[in-house]
Amino acid sequence: MANRTYEVMYIVDPDTPVDTIGKLNEAVGKLVEKEGGTVVRMDDIGIRRLAYPIQKKEDGHYVLFEIEGSGQEIAELERRMRVNDMIIRYITVRVDEDRKAATKRREKREARAAKRTKFRPSGASAEAQAEA
Amino acid sequence: MAEKEMEILDERGLDVGEDVIGDRPRRYQRRRPRQVVPEYVDWKDVDYLRQFVPERGKIMPRRISGISAKDQRRIAQAIKRARSMAMLPFMAD
Repeated sequence: MANRTYEVMYIVDPDTPVDTIGKLNEAVGKLVEKEGGTVVRMDDIGIRRLAYPIQKKEDGHYVLFEIEGSGQEIAELERRMRVNDMIIRYITVRVDEDRKAATKRREKREARAAKRTKFRPSGASAEAQAEA
Repeated sequence: MAEKEMEILDERGLDVGEDVIGDRPRRYQRRRPRQVVPEYVDWKDVDYLRQFVPERGKIMPRRISGISAKDQRRIAQAIKRARSMAMLPFMAD
């Protein structure tokens, strides 16, 4: 099974005590590991103002995870998050394909830039003038 | 001529979605110079995405932002993700 990379972000109720949030994050990490995934990155972003109120709350405690795995652990994690009332919002984004596309795009861009400078070394400055 | 140039400056990031009221017909400045969109549009990078979200909270149309159709789709997708996580407003007044 090809490995996939996911970004999982969730917003915790800002009124929950900090150590409870810490425990929750730990539990998430453990769950992922148990289901056969790996946590690449864990980032407790902290309290942030929400762009619009959710459940009458104006702030939220953001947590971001980067998880690598088959997708099975994501399914389980989402199921748990759905029923946890500390978590007021969550999102999962699969990023590996987009990142691969981004590298490809960067390579293409660099190749084109290299080609351009090869043909006319002063190309960059002339272009800047044309754009101005 | 000078007036036209000023309009471009005014439009950047602000009130672009708003109608222009006055004797002149409502018309936006055509295409700004093509913008370079990064290879990877991060939906968490709110500061970057804000550039494409005028005050009202709507996604800036392509004819004003001047980015390619492909890039516009990526930006729009990122904005929608950020919105669902309350990092950007769906609607602001």
